[in-house]
Amino acid sequence: MFSDFGMENLRPLLEGAKLTLYLVAMSGLFGSVIGLAFGLARVAPFAPIRWLAALYVNLVRGQPVLILLLFLYFAMPLMVPSATFDRGPTAIVGLSVYAGAYIAEIVRGAIEAVPRGQAEAASALGMGYLLRYRYIVLPQAMKGAVPPAIGFLISLVKASSLVSVIGYVELTKAGRIVSTLNQEPLLTFLVVAALYFVLSYPIALFGRWYERRLV
Amino acid sequence: MNPVIIVEGLRKNFGKLEVLRGIDCTVHLNEVVCVIGPSGSGKSTFLRCLNLLESITAGTVVINGHRLNESKTNLNQVRQDVGMVFQQFNVFPHMKVIDNLTLAPIKVAKQQPAQVRTRAHALLEKVGLTDKTDVYPSKLSGGQQQRVAIARALAMQPKVMLFDEPTSSLDPETVGEVLGVMKDLAQEHMTMVVVTHEMGFAREVADRVLFMDQGLIVEEGTPEQIFDHPQHERTRAFLSKVL
Repeated sequence: MFSDFGMENLRPLLEGAKLTLYLVAMSGLFGSVIGLAFGLARVAPFAPIRWLAALYVNLVRGQPVLILLLFLYFAMPLMVPSATFDRGPTAIVGLSVYAGAYIAEIVRGAIEAVPRGQAEAASALGMGYLLRYRYIVLPQAMKGAVPPAIGFLISLVKASSLVSVIGYVELTKAGRIVSTLNQEPLLTFLVVAALYFVLSYPIALFGRWYERRLV
Repeated sequence: MNPVIIVEGLRKNFGKLEVLRGIDCTVHLNEVVCVIGPSGSGKSTFLRCLNLLESITAGTVVINGHRLNESKTNLNQVRQDVGMVFQQFNVFPHMKVIDNLTLAPIKVAKQQPAQVRTRAHALLEKVGLTDKTDVYPSKLSGGQQQRVAIARALAMQPKVMLFDEPTSSLDPETVGEVLGVMKDLAQEHMTMVVVTHEMGFAREVADRVLFMDQGLIVEEGTPEQIFDHPQHERTRAFLSKVL
C-alpha cells in the first residue's frame, strides 16, 4: 500500500510543506512586529492611539481568517485596483494582519501584567516613556508574552491552510491536488497530517524549553 | 532657610472622592519631615503628588524652584532630583542589583558608566549589600530589596528623598536595617519626607512631624510638640491608638 505512494506524490507535498513553513515564518515575523506595535498602542498614553489600535484588533478578531483572505484577494482589487497582488503576497498579508491582532492582545496582556509599581519606579527615576518601556516594562512583559505567542504560532501553522481558498498551493492545497490525481485521499492526507505535525511539534517543544528556562 | 519643596493649596480628587483638601507645606534644605496619620488620611497621595506620580487637581507644587503642574516644566528633569522609595520596593527584578543602581544614572543622567559604577559600589557598601552586587533581587529578603531601592534612588544623587511607608511591608526583623539606613541618611543632612507608621523613628529622626487626617494637615510641629503635647483632639485620638 505504501509502496504505491512514490516520490512523484511526495515531492509536491514536500514542496507544499516548504511553502507552509515560509508562510508561517513570514506572517509570524510580520505579525509579531505588527502585534508589538499595536500591543503598545493599546496601552499608549494618548487615547486616540488606543482607540485606533482597539478598532484594528477587534475588527480582525471579529472575522474568520477565511473572510479576511477572500476579501483581500477578491474584493480589495475591486475597491482599490492598485491593491491587486499575487496569491503569495496576499496570503502573507492576510495571515500577518490576522496574527498581528492576536499577538497585539497577547502583548497588551503581558504589559498589563507587569506591576504598575515598576513603571512608577522608573518614572520616579526620571525615565521617560521610551526608556521606561525599553528597559523596564518590555523586558518583563516579554517573559509573559513569549509562551502564549508560541501557542499562537502553532495555531498559525494550522490557520495557514486556509490560504488554499485563494489558490495558493501550500501543504493543504497540494494535498488536495495530489489526492485528486492519485485517487488515494487516505494515504495522501495521512502524509499531509504527518507533515503538519512535523512543522508544528518543534514549535511546541521550543515553547516548553523556553518556559522551563524561565523558572 | 532654603525651601526645597513648596506646596500651596494642594487638592487631589479621585473622581468624586476628595483625598487632599488643601495642603500647604514647605520643606527646607536638610530638613527631615515625617508624615503620620491614619490610613486613608491622604498621606501617601500627598507624597506621590510631590513628584507628580499622581496628577494634581488644584494648587501648586514647586520642587527646587520648578513648578510641577506647568506644561513647560520638564517633569523627567525635575524627577531626577527627587528620589523615591516605595512601600512595595519596586526593585527591577530582571536586573542584577548593581544594574538596578546604574541604569538611571547612565541612561537618564547620561553620566560616565565607570564613574556611576564606582559610586554604585560605594552606595551598596553604605547600605550594607556589598556581597549582593551581582545577585538578582528575587534572591534578597524584603529588607535587602528595600535597601537596594534606597541605594538605587541615591545613585541619581537626588536633592530630596521621598519615602512612602518604606517599612510597612517588611518582616518585623528587617524593619530595623532599613530604618538604620534612613537614619544614616538623615544624619548626613539629606532632605527627606517620610510617610511612616514608625512613631519611634519619627520621634527620633524628624525635625518636624505633620499629622494628616481626612486630606488635611491637622497639626504640625517638632516631635516633642506632636507626640508629647498634641493640641488637636484628632491627633490625640490617633496617637492614643498607635503609641
